[in-house]
Amino acid sequence: MTVPIPLRILGLTVATTAFYTLVGQLVPQKEVHPPKEAELKKDMTSDQIVKAGQEIFEGKGLCTTCHTLGKSGALRFPDLGGIGSRAASRKPGLSDVDYLAESIYDPNLFIVPGFNPGMPVINKPPIGLSDQEILAVIAYLQSLGGKASVTLDSKVWPIAAAAGAQ
Amino acid sequence: MKGRLNLKIAVASAVVVALALGATVGLVRFVLSREYRSPVRSDQAPQTPRVTAEQDAAAAKTKADREKPYVEDTYRRFPVVGSRIAVWVLAQLHLLFAAFVLAVPIFALIIEFIGWLNGDKRYNELAHEFTKLLSVSFSLTATFGAFLLFMLVLLYPKFMSYLMHVFSPTFAPYVGLFFLEAFFLYTYYYGWGKFAPVTHLLLGLGLNVVGTAIMLIANSWLTFMTTPAGISESGAVVNTWAAVHNYTWMPINIHRVIANVAFGGSVAAAYAAFKFLAAKTDAERAHYDWMGYIGNFVAICAFLPLPFAGYWLASEIYAYSQTLGLQMMGGAFSWLFIIQAVLIGNLFLGANYYLWLGMGRVQASERFQGYIKFLLILIALCFAVWATPRSIIATVSETRAMGGGSHPQLGYLGVMSAKNTAVNILILTTYVSFLLYRRSGRTPTVSWAKLGNALQVAISLLTGAFVIFLGIYGYFVEAAVRIGLSVPQVSSVLFAMISVTVIDVLMYRNAKELGETHWGRIHPISQYVLIFLAVTFTWLMGLMGYVRSGLRQHWHVYGVVRDTSVDAFTPTLGFATQVVSVTVIIFFLLIGFVFWLASLSSHEREDA
Repeated sequence: MTVPIPLRILGLTVATTAFYTLVGQLVPQKEVHPPKEAELKKDMTSDQIVKAGQEIFEGKGLCTTCHTLGKSGALRFPDLGGIGSRAASRKPGLSDVDYLAESIYDPNLFIVPGFNPGMPVINKPPIGLSDQEILAVIAYLQSLGGKASVTLDSKVWPIAAAAGAQ
Repeated sequence: MKGRLNLKIAVASAVVVALALGATVGLVRFVLSREYRSPVRSDQAPQTPRVTAEQDAAAAKTKADREKPYVEDTYRRFPVVGSRIAVWVLAQLHLLFAAFVLAVPIFALIIEFIGWLNGDKRYNELAHEFTKLLSVSFSLTATFGAFLLFMLVLLYPKFMSYLMHVFSPTFAPYVGLFFLEAFFLYTYYYGWGKFAPVTHLLLGLGLNVVGTAIMLIANSWLTFMTTPAGISESGAVVNTWAAVHNYTWMPINIHRVIANVAFGGSVAAAYAAFKFLAAKTDAERAHYDWMGYIGNFVAICAFLPLPFAGYWLASEIYAYSQTLGLQMMGGAFSWLFIIQAVLIGNLFLGANYYLWLGMGRVQASERFQGYIKFLLILIALCFAVWATPRSIIATVSETRAMGGGSHPQLGYLGVMSAKNTAVNILILTTYVSFLLYRRSGRTPTVSWAKLGNALQVAISLLTGAFVIFLGIYGYFVEAAVRIGLSVPQVSSVLFAMISVTVIDVLMYRNAKELGETHWGRIHPISQYVLIFLAVTFTWLMGLMGYVRSGLRQHWHVYGVVRDTSVDAFTPTLGFATQVVSVTVIIFFLLIGFVFWLASLSSHEREDA
């Protein structure tokens, strides 16, 4: 019995799409949900702030989309492993906290040698971290090779500068 | 005495009986007064006349209606499959038909123009045959477009209100152009053979210009959603032209024109394949073999520069937002590009296989068949490199054995340097296959043929070596340098293709024919290859449409209008591929209907 040509073509079409669908099932499956808001309270301890900062760093802040921790070689963006120990010496005249704050609020003011500018402004949408969330991230970054000193009441650059100007 | 006593007893008894009866009645009345009675049974409850009750209810409703506050719906829910799937499938179907309707007039006009120049009527007939597929497809495009618009307004009213706020000045020109397109399309199709050739060509040109203009306007809406511009921080319009001319507008315009031609050519080739397989005579087979060849030729010619247009689009996405670019290539969508590699690898394999099968219709083509195995090995190697992922999903023990998420050796093939190299070599190899096919059955007669051949081989080999060198060099330089290496890779391949073609055209002028080309004498499997290519092109369009749109993740307009619906998440790739497959099957069922209608038109002509 000869299969009619339209049926053969339909069979080929279905088989081809089924094959590509199968390929789609073989790759890792992950649903990506909007980042959850981290809970920040005034009475948090330093460790709690660091932990919250890590959650924001890996989640809402999208930092790990570009930055790595403890990787070397041909990287697209600076590795942040141990940044807490070298932040204070990155840019003359800036403390570790001010350097990290400047890198977050106005990332193009200083570009690490060997890399291109590319860091987005993260205190506005689409990332849109609040000042408190940025403080928590700074605390987490300080903890990578150093000790967190900022609290949720800290006034960092440029908020400190703005407060000073008033 | 006895009688008086009896009387006293009777009176006393009567009094006692009366008292007992009175007490019984009193007791019964007391008990009844304590018994539960439903209001229905109660004859004591006050009654409201039915008419009054209805009037009161109507008045209360009128009052409530009058005082009901206006609340703007942010979203409405489509039943069963949900709003996202409904809009996704409709948008994809609309875009597939629109791509076809925009693409076919481009190459139909070129073919008609060639026929007009060389006076060969076959070209004119071929162009006419291509346009037969247009009128029904145009109606389906418009129907799906209107359906899509209704669904968007119905299901996403607030978001659509925002888009209208930004793009309202573009709507009237869009509608006007749509009417013009209908005018040009139907005049071009129904006026075939009824106008002077130049007038008819100008109608075709008008159809293409108007169709492209429509596409440019629609592209501004969708590209704005990914890379918004021309608005304030709160989303208010500052400059409509800047909103139109956003970062990805022009790259999408170019990418879509090229991709539409590739897709349209492949679908037209599938139509020819269907007609070839159903053909009853050798003449029909010869005609549809030729038509399939031309359709596929158009598709592959457009397909070869497509990755370059893709690079441009991707680089503009990075230029707009590194985060967006990295989410695309290194985040949620990174594995999608492995699926894309499988599709593109299949397209290259299929396109080359069709060319190799096509050599069978040309006499004296056997001398080139020895090269095919080398080309096949090269294509398979490049395919494997392109489909190699950077990181591999593995068990803990496997990860430990590999020393990380990447394979110690194969992991190096998963990075951009290797993939860029692979795709450039694939393009070069496919070009060589086409060159061999072009030379089948002919030999050059010019005195400098040996030098020309040597030059062509040298250019091809040197280009290949240069592309591979840059690919390896990319592993040893900083990111800033590595990203820029794709430009010389692409430029060298383009240079090789153009320069070798120029040499070939000059060298094969007045070439000696070694044998005839017998159109129609090709293995039937080649026709199924054409259909496979069309399905793969369509599926690829669906997949890339998904990544272009899905890239925004939980934003309707990236960074401006957030998606707060129940669908505000990115589904798994497995789910996305299922939706794409369903859409592709629906499209092919509908395009099968278009093919059938076009066949009826052919029968009508034959009967006449």
